[in-house]
Amino acid sequence: MTPELTALLVLLVPAASAATITLLLSRRPSAASAVSVLASAFVAYGALALALGGSRFSVSLEWLRLGTFTVGIGFRYDDLAALMLGIVGIVGLCVHVFSLGYMHDDAARARYFGGLSIFMFSMIGIVLADNLFMMFIFWELVGFSSYFLINHYNRLQSAADASKKAFIVNRVGDFGFLLGIILCYWANGTVSLAGIDAAQASGHLVYSRLIPLLLFCGAVGKSAQLPLQVWLPDAMEGPTPVSALIHAATMVAAGIYMLCRIHVLMVPDALTVIVWVGSATAFYAALCAITQSDIKKVLAYSTLSQLGYMVAAFGLGSTGAAMFHLTTHAFFKALLFLGSGSVIYGCHHEQNIFKMGGLRSRMPVTFLTFTVAVAAIIGLPGLAGFFSKDAILALAYDTNRAVFAVLTLTAVLTSFYMVRLWKIAFLGEPRSEAAAHAHEGGFAFTAPLLLLAVFSALAGYLRLYPSGFSGILSLVPESEHESTHLVVLGVSLVVLVAGVGSALALYSTDGTDALEVRSPGTFEFLTALRASFDKAYGYYVAKVQQRFAMVLNFIDVVGLAGVALRGLAGITEIAGFGLRALHTGRLNNYVYWFLGGAVVLWAYAAGFL
Amino acid sequence: MSNLPFDPLLLSIAAPLAVAVAIALGVPKRVVVKLAYVGFALPALLALHVWWYFSTAAKEAHGYAFLTNYSTGLDGFGISLKLGLNGISLPLFVLAGVVGLAAGLYALQSGAERMKTYLLLLLVMQAGLMGVFASVNVFFFYFFHELALIPTFIMVGIWGGRDRSYAAMTLTIYLTAGAMLSLLGLVALYVKSGAGSFDLLALRDTLAAAPLGKVTQTHIFGLLLFGFGILVSLWPFHSWAPMGYQAAPSSAAMLHAGVLKKFGLYGLIQIGLPLLPLGAAHWAFALAALAGFGNVLVIGLVTIAQKDLKQMVGYSSVMHMGYAFLGIAAGTAFGVGGVVLLMVAHGLSVALMFLLSTSIYHRTHTYDMDRMGGLVQKAPVLAWLFVAATFASIGLPGFANFWGELTIFVSLWNFSHTLTVVAVAGTVISAVYGLRAAAKVFFGEPTGAFVQVAQAHPPADLSWSEKIPAFILVATLLFIGLWPSSLAGPINRALPGAPAAVEASR
Repeated sequence: MTPELTALLVLLVPAASAATITLLLSRRPSAASAVSVLASAFVAYGALALALGGSRFSVSLEWLRLGTFTVGIGFRYDDLAALMLGIVGIVGLCVHVFSLGYMHDDAARARYFGGLSIFMFSMIGIVLADNLFMMFIFWELVGFSSYFLINHYNRLQSAADASKKAFIVNRVGDFGFLLGIILCYWANGTVSLAGIDAAQASGHLVYSRLIPLLLFCGAVGKSAQLPLQVWLPDAMEGPTPVSALIHAATMVAAGIYMLCRIHVLMVPDALTVIVWVGSATAFYAALCAITQSDIKKVLAYSTLSQLGYMVAAFGLGSTGAAMFHLTTHAFFKALLFLGSGSVIYGCHHEQNIFKMGGLRSRMPVTFLTFTVAVAAIIGLPGLAGFFSKDAILALAYDTNRAVFAVLTLTAVLTSFYMVRLWKIAFLGEPRSEAAAHAHEGGFAFTAPLLLLAVFSALAGYLRLYPSGFSGILSLVPESEHESTHLVVLGVSLVVLVAGVGSALALYSTDGTDALEVRSPGTFEFLTALRASFDKAYGYYVAKVQQRFAMVLNFIDVVGLAGVALRGLAGITEIAGFGLRALHTGRLNNYVYWFLGGAVVLWAYAAGFL
Repeated sequence: MSNLPFDPLLLSIAAPLAVAVAIALGVPKRVVVKLAYVGFALPALLALHVWWYFSTAAKEAHGYAFLTNYSTGLDGFGISLKLGLNGISLPLFVLAGVVGLAAGLYALQSGAERMKTYLLLLLVMQAGLMGVFASVNVFFFYFFHELALIPTFIMVGIWGGRDRSYAAMTLTIYLTAGAMLSLLGLVALYVKSGAGSFDLLALRDTLAAAPLGKVTQTHIFGLLLFGFGILVSLWPFHSWAPMGYQAAPSSAAMLHAGVLKKFGLYGLIQIGLPLLPLGAAHWAFALAALAGFGNVLVIGLVTIAQKDLKQMVGYSSVMHMGYAFLGIAAGTAFGVGGVVLLMVAHGLSVALMFLLSTSIYHRTHTYDMDRMGGLVQKAPVLAWLFVAATFASIGLPGFANFWGELTIFVSLWNFSHTLTVVAVAGTVISAVYGLRAAAKVFFGEPTGAFVQVAQAHPPADLSWSEKIPAFILVATLLFIGLWPSSLAGPINRALPGAPAAVEASR
């Protein structure tokens, strides 16, 4: 197989899987899940074969041509795509296998696996897209897949609301994204990534603040940055493996990936905006995570926060650091979500951590792997998150001390809320019947957990990556100053000790939230802070948008339809007696008049009369 | 000519008309149904046939293929039945065939009272629709429009829902006013051109050699714009649309909103832009402002406020017509191509929406979305088809509508930055009302009102006779969405001649 053909199959096999499931297997869930898992296995194989094969290529075809306007469809398989496709392949396969266990008792699992396949197809389309129109097309399609999967438990009002919210909020971001693409099209005459690179190389690239900032709007929506972050916590209504794949490891990271794709369009002012949006999101989301009692919500806010790190890293000018953290995060956050899925399944769909406890002994594999993931995200030296987060902190230390301060403070909060979650959920005694009878799931649960645990432990060592993946990772910045290394290492250790220590000291395993008990003011403040955005948007939608729409509707019905129509009718009344038929509502009269007139005219014109 | 032993265009008009006549003459009921299948299927098959052979067919003047001329006895006035298709009329001819088939199949299973008359009127409408897009003679272009329009009034008046007589009257007043204005414009064109003919090709040749003066063009285009504009529900002349569609029986709504409404846009593109480029340029900004702020923004927001499912679909259709007007106003060649794509896509998706809305009504016994909920549990196929239709109409890539909207947005930027922003903002608005409707009808917990209805009349999922017309429409939307060149190819052949003139005149 040529690499081009492999890439094509990697894109189309999940599409074929989704089509097969929709058309043929909707009533045969076992066959549907087998097809979907095999498709994802093929994607993983293809992604690795392509990357390790070492070839890099781009191919393009015309998809639509109308006059002078063309939209291409093509692949740009470079180092960046190789790394991203590898992540999607590996995490995708883990989540598919895990879903075999987690969704086993779900009556609608054919639909679920069909949705996973549509998602894989859409996501791979984003990764391989060679131009911005094509990226936008698949960008919208992942939005649809996300809608579809969040809405899986569609009997629940909360799931229906959450899926709707996710799509609409993303559309708000895409509004800017599409305008940015259109601007780029007219400014540069091309939206192909190769064309943009070529324009930059030849010095003809048109730089503006507006284009990168509008494109960034797309990332703000998809990667759930302030102020569009509100959809992601709600998206946890979807099945937990979906949260792992879409709302943690891959789709929400697509915003960062997209920024890395178009980094040559960036100008300093745009980067400044981006770095502060990322930093603010990282810090804000970390504050929100502290008060959550739903295990998935804690992880959702943590995802927001980590995405903020990546956006900040990009804003600081390093695609290498952003992609490095994206990579390690994909593994340890997918592991955290799958671990939480294992816990939720073991505890019979209990998601409240205060009703868990004692899971350490009852679910040893989950406990062990979850612990590895927690250690990775809080940056315990030696594990993946330590390296990628330190790369960002070192970069911030060298370039922007204020950002460094915010991100460091966020790191303290990260270790604080993650250790809180870990301690309350796993340690102590069971605090509910469900937790007391919790048990480890089968092989479909543990195998993906163990595999991801290995990645979470080792993904920080850049030397371990095969050469096929190292193209982008070689761009991870190394500070030139010896002092930076020492300072950042020292700060990281202090941060770690402070966060972990205070969480261990503050929280006990007695089923109460110690922060709420000891400092209700702080707790309430954080809760209100978390709810503030939803409140503001809720107010806008219900009180502003809806009322405005009602007023316009009133004007439309009464003003235009009523008065204008009466006016028209009045004119006709004056116009003549014959048309009075209209006003009495005897329609047939009018029709006969009309037809009769037409016949008479015709006969007259034709010379018959 | 095509490789058929007969003229496919003439047959596509004659077949439904012949079936209608046969029904009127009183053939027995069993035969009526069989004949009606033929009357609806034949135009669709013939449309697909000419689509397939269009690229290889011999092209005559102005890129027309399949040209034939039938004498009417009025040839001296330049009125002859001249049939043919170019790259702009072909996609709409196919649209008329496909939507006609779906609407016909849906009517056949509807169990409407006085079924014979219902089918008769639909078949006359179908013949008129095929004729509108196959006519190269402006007189017949207009004649076939009236042929299709009159059955609409009658069907609303007889089979309409609540407030049907008021709706029928509104519809009649507005659409007749629109038709009269545009007729005035067409007659003025006939007179002023000096061609002495309604033949579009002759008009083109004459006006290419001796264009009308700017003032004349401006006046005539104004008549056409507002005449056609009323027919396409240009804001603020749109009130008939939601009201009329709310009352119309489903197949009539499918055919009118899906196909017949495109007559006005088609007239502007096929007649107005190429023959009156200076007039088009004069009116462009007024048109764009009405369409952008009126249709897209105001009506978009009004759509959000709707509680009645069918009215929501009606208003959303008014909103999407705004995009088509914007593409025409922008006046670039590819923008107009995008309008043609959008016309086809919108026709398919709005027909699907009306079909599914009626199917929903049969299960909920109301159009009030606040009295529904959770229908997916009873009717999953209906639910996912409705979700597909919703995503198609809000422009999700993969469905045909996306290409039309994207092309129009891109073409609009150089015309007006502000209106581009407004138009793209419309995609957010349409996501709000579209997904809100899907969620209210199908997802979440059933409302108390619906629980009661469901107990009295346990709802079943779509039957095959409802599914097949819906599948035809979804499949066509996906086909064009995945392979836009299937229509863009023919459209491209017609583009340089048509709107290039507008660009040159700027």
